[in-house]
Amino acid sequence: MAYERKFVTVGGARIEYFVGGSGAPMVWLHGTEGNLGWLPLHEELARDFTVYVPTHPGFAGSERPPWLETFLDLSRFYLWILQELRLPKAILAGHFIGGWLAAEMAVMSPSTVARLFLIDAAGVRPREGEITDIFLHGSEGTRRLSFVDAKQVADYDLLFGTKSTPEAREAHIINREAVTRYCWKPYMHDPSLPPLLERLRDVPTMLIWGREDRIVPMECGELYRKAIPGAQLQVIDRCGHFPHLEKPAEFWRAASAFLLPNHRRD
Amino acid sequence: MFIMRFTERPYVAYTEDDVRNSFRSSVRLTFSNTHFDPKLGADLYNQYLDEYEFSEEVGFDGLMLNEHHNTPTCMGATMNLEAAILARMTKKPKIVLLGNPLPIFENPIRLAEELAEIDMISRGRLVSGFVRGTGIESWATNTNPVHNRERFEEAHDLIIKTWTTPGPFRWEGKHYQFRVVNPFETPLQKPHPPIWIPGVGSPETLEWCARHHYPYIYLETDPQVTVSMTDLYAKAAAECGYEPGPQNFGYLWRIHVQDTDEKAIEVGKGFLTGNAGIGRVPLPGDFMAPAGYNSREGSKRLLEQYKHALRPDPLYGGVDSAGWDAVVESNRIVVGSPKTVVKKIRQGLEVFRPGILGVWSNDGTIGHKDTMRCLQLMKDEVLPAIREMGKELGLPGPFEQAP
Repeated sequence: MAYERKFVTVGGARIEYFVGGSGAPMVWLHGTEGNLGWLPLHEELARDFTVYVPTHPGFAGSERPPWLETFLDLSRFYLWILQELRLPKAILAGHFIGGWLAAEMAVMSPSTVARLFLIDAAGVRPREGEITDIFLHGSEGTRRLSFVDAKQVADYDLLFGTKSTPEAREAHIINREAVTRYCWKPYMHDPSLPPLLERLRDVPTMLIWGREDRIVPMECGELYRKAIPGAQLQVIDRCGHFPHLEKPAEFWRAASAFLLPNHRRD
Repeated sequence: MFIMRFTERPYVAYTEDDVRNSFRSSVRLTFSNTHFDPKLGADLYNQYLDEYEFSEEVGFDGLMLNEHHNTPTCMGATMNLEAAILARMTKKPKIVLLGNPLPIFENPIRLAEELAEIDMISRGRLVSGFVRGTGIESWATNTNPVHNRERFEEAHDLIIKTWTTPGPFRWEGKHYQFRVVNPFETPLQKPHPPIWIPGVGSPETLEWCARHHYPYIYLETDPQVTVSMTDLYAKAAAECGYEPGPQNFGYLWRIHVQDTDEKAIEVGKGFLTGNAGIGRVPLPGDFMAPAGYNSREGSKRLLEQYKHALRPDPLYGGVDSAGWDAVVESNRIVVGSPKTVVKKIRQGLEVFRPGILGVWSNDGTIGHKDTMRCLQLMKDEVLPAIREMGKELGLPGPFEQAP
């Protein structure tokens, strides 16, 4: 399917995004790995939606306005990006920090969000476990913790393969720096987010979690579910932090039931 | 020439296996403090203070301290406390703090107050160095590494203003905000205690120092790289309209003396377990330099500088005898009898031309007894010879000639 790489200038910063497909708008918000481009996942979604895959400001591909320092700055700025993309109401989907970002935007502006689709999302501090410190574990340690079985992951090399070109290595450094800037402290959560989630009572919300996520424990999925009125939580067995990559079939079953309630996919 | 003495005040009662079994096999940051025995710690702190006290008698112009966190390699986790004790215990030498890691302080005003007290108690003997800290310091204090340099510069500006501008005044910065800056006690030295900056040659810091006329102290950097970094400082200084001299530069060097070369070579080997720790297990790179700690441009320039480095490096060189021989041979660590050491130091001074010499006399597994003997030999034979050399080679320190 055809997709395009485009740019939009927001508040003086040039923001990269990929767009393709047709139908209701959906914005896919990437995780800490940065924007890996138009993936099979987006291709699949583009059969039913106009899919936007922006690169977060400060990650490799998009500029960061010099004032943008915190995760809240990022969330507020993203609502402006949606405005410039002329998306008054879109499905927000995101993984890990992308999910957190979607949740922040939703509580700031619920009317902007048609549906909320969060996958192993950061943002809420667990009460019993901890969100694993990916900085402390380093890239390699985090990679080991991310999957139940890396052999299940078709896109493994794309995500964690040896960064072969100087550009890919540079992008990796830029992305790590961006995550550090936004998520260092408080680490991967916003203390004021949980009480605000109640505001999403009119936003249909689904949470998908890998049961054996060793980065963001499933407890966080439960906390999100309890905090957002009417939210559903779908847990995938034998699956780690990346359900859409590690268990794509199960992921799609759950995703379609939520995103395409009115028709069965062939 | 200004000659100061330094040790990292190490704690060495642990094994290589302890390090290897720690999280990511790191001797810093995650190496569990269950390996620390406070009874031994009490002895060591007092012993290190005794050594510094004796260093005054040896004739050092300065007693240099540093600070690190979450590590057995340096027990000076709150350097200003040791400095305050030395301020009262000693009479003549400068107390040289290299340095307080500015970015990790949430309240630089408090730091300005502590330093002012040290300056007064010592009756104006404080040299207040500032550093960015290694990445470990950012980790240990949960300070975002991407703001390290911004916080360093802003905290510096705030402290200098606190020391030099009549209070109360207001500070509304990016990282620090204070509405009533007015610490009642101000430093004895006017306009403020001298500022020196130690480092391993980060180009941005060198240029910043040159702009501020602050002496830059090379922390036992590679000889070839040191020369090219000095050129970088000189270029930035020229843009500010002055030519730096030896008074603008210092060199910290591991120098250990014993009665004979053989003994010194044997004992001096203890240096290898100094800031690398027992076992010399390499630290995870992202512990020392987490993402964003160095600017991408700065990292590239630093790599470019170090392309010309001459090996072997004492931090990375081998632990086997061949590795140690190479380190000794290349003078990256100076060990020997007084006569040998004086000869070797001269070779370095001719190349680096520093006005400040930091004598890192002992570290790692070099024990107290050997250290005291080393200091005695420095008193009798080495320091007088270095002073003569300083005169002969025209190496004024920053108290003889303004940097």
